[in-house]
Amino acid sequence: MSLNLLRLALKNIGSRKTRSWLTILGVLVGVTAVVALLSIGTGVQEAVLQQFEDIGYDIILIAPMNAGGPGRAVGGPGSGAMGGRFAAPSAALVDDSSSGGLFSPDSLGAGSSEAGDAQEQPDRADEALGRMLSSGLDTDLLLTKVPQLVEAGTLGTQIHPVDTGATTGFLRVSTPSMEFLESFPSVLGGFEIAGGRTFTNVAENQVVVGARSAELLQLAVGDSISIGGIPFVVVGILEASDQSVEGAGDAASEEGGLSGQSLAQNLGSSGSADLVLRGMTNTDDSLFVLDERASEVFDTRGAMSVTIARVEPGASISETKDAINVAIGLQEATGTPISIQEVADEIQGTLSLIETVLASIAAVALIVGGVGLMNTMYTAVLERTREIGILKSVGARDGQVMTLFLIDSGLMGLIGGVLGLLLGSLLSLFGTRLLGPSLGVGSFTPVIDAGLVGGVLAFSFVLGALSGAWPAWRASRLNPVDALAAE
Amino acid sequence: MLVLQDVYKTYRMGDTDVRALRGVSLELPPAAFSVIMGPSGSGKSTLMHLAGCLDVPTSGCVEYGGHDLTVLSSRERAAFRAAEVGFVFQKYNLVANLSAMDNVALPLLLGGSTTKQAHGRAREALETVDLLDRIGHRPAKLSGGEQQRVAIARALIGDPAMILADEPTGNLDTATGDRILELLHGLTEEDKSVIVVTHNPEIAAEADLLVHLRDGRIESLQRAEVAR
Repeated sequence: MSLNLLRLALKNIGSRKTRSWLTILGVLVGVTAVVALLSIGTGVQEAVLQQFEDIGYDIILIAPMNAGGPGRAVGGPGSGAMGGRFAAPSAALVDDSSSGGLFSPDSLGAGSSEAGDAQEQPDRADEALGRMLSSGLDTDLLLTKVPQLVEAGTLGTQIHPVDTGATTGFLRVSTPSMEFLESFPSVLGGFEIAGGRTFTNVAENQVVVGARSAELLQLAVGDSISIGGIPFVVVGILEASDQSVEGAGDAASEEGGLSGQSLAQNLGSSGSADLVLRGMTNTDDSLFVLDERASEVFDTRGAMSVTIARVEPGASISETKDAINVAIGLQEATGTPISIQEVADEIQGTLSLIETVLASIAAVALIVGGVGLMNTMYTAVLERTREIGILKSVGARDGQVMTLFLIDSGLMGLIGGVLGLLLGSLLSLFGTRLLGPSLGVGSFTPVIDAGLVGGVLAFSFVLGALSGAWPAWRASRLNPVDALAAE
Repeated sequence: MLVLQDVYKTYRMGDTDVRALRGVSLELPPAAFSVIMGPSGSGKSTLMHLAGCLDVPTSGCVEYGGHDLTVLSSRERAAFRAAEVGFVFQKYNLVANLSAMDNVALPLLLGGSTTKQAHGRAREALETVDLLDRIGHRPAKLSGGEQQRVAIARALIGDPAMILADEPTGNLDTATGDRILELLHGLTEEDKSVIVVTHNPEIAAEADLLVHLRDGRIESLQRAEVAR
């Protein structure tokens, strides 16, 4: 019997095409917004969490300078002093082959941590700044004092002038030790070599180049380049990573220039721990020189370094962090331990909050659609009063009249839900392509799982039925004689 | 047999009470052609609504086959209408977005028959009123006479014992109206009680029972022998 009612409801929807479609459109817009936002939001969360998973949740990062909470530990002090030192946007590589490639006097002045001759003393470097940039931790000592740690290493980063002969500019040079590369390749995005090989000799001036740097500098394995005035030979080029900070408010890189300052800029402007990580794990824009070599040939006083340690399986992260704090104190070093888990939690919390806010806004659109549906159904009851009288005169029960109207509105909700789901999915597929790069998570896929699909369909049907409930109830209570008398 | 005993019906219309029926007692015999006449506002339609269980009296008793209809719940009244009554209205009252076939099948569809069964019966009913060629037409595509025949087919499809027609020829020209009346009158031969509310004295001439109402009361009541 309800099948008959369904047929009757369908005929009714079909006979009022324009209004039915307009009503459906209202629901559709709301559902589209909700689906697109939720699927993109979940997709971003999963992509970001995947990054942390790749690095490993057993890793603790010891950022220089004790600056309070985990999120602020690194960047807190950066905006002032470090901004002046590193974050000059014009420090990006000037890729201008026609003019032979020169950097502007501006960039020379502002980004001159190591500008010119490496032998030249950085005139503004002092002890305090050194402590901000490097915790000064001895990792061997740390390992003996904190038994929960299985391995530890330090990754230094410095901005150096780079000259390939055809192009010059400033680039980020990361200086992992041989041991670090073996223990923590995940921190450097796996450090997978696409061409050439990895470092073989700590006694030679070898450099491994990130994918994008290699492309923009037109470097091949075996090429010679000058870093900080020292001649180096390219021994390997890295696999391109999935991610990119391109477009993250970085005009230089959008123009095709190289964002050598990305780490420094990230630290200087927003300074969240995840950006440190992202700066490290985004290997595309970096050059890599072994720490053993770098400490020989460069003046590393202006280098920023982060200590990475791996926690023994099963050990408590928070207890380990406490022990690290004690060890830092014993060494009279500075620094704050942050676990990858903490960073991931913090970011996930932020992402969830953003997602909730956006989904709430989308939900408002959906509620507006529901109100539109209610309005349509209410008008329909007024318009169809006589029809209700007819149905009752031929024996329809109150419940049947109500069901008929509920199916009517529920179906419109459901159709809006199905179409909204399709449109929202399409939108999120496009959206992820647009958003992926600017969010710095590289390519990611929207998450449209059974839960979302089922939830949206059930919700839109219920929304439709609920919106129609009151009008339907009114319809069912109409006195047949009065209803028949209606014009 | 439908029996009304001292039936009163008062409507509230805005601020005033309209006393549509004021103590009507009446027996409507089975398988008879009963005609209710009277000027506008005399309570004819109200009487028909009470007889067809579309409404309940303010006081008094409406009995059908010995059962008191006034004590029925809304659901039971709906079931009574579905089983025992077929309505034919002056304005035809067809559902605009349904075909002639679906309009006729509606009572069965609501009653839980399968579409196939309902359509089969609807086809037969439409054949009875000679409208097989209009089976897929919507009401807007049908003439007044055709619409009324569809309405009669709908009233007949549930095989009710009682057909209640409220001014069935009011919107039709004379020739068409005569045809409809003939159709209704013929139904008494199938042992159905046909109760027609009308202004039309020609219909009255056909009546087995002729009731004149005025101001909510029975003014006169004539049996067939007298009426003819």
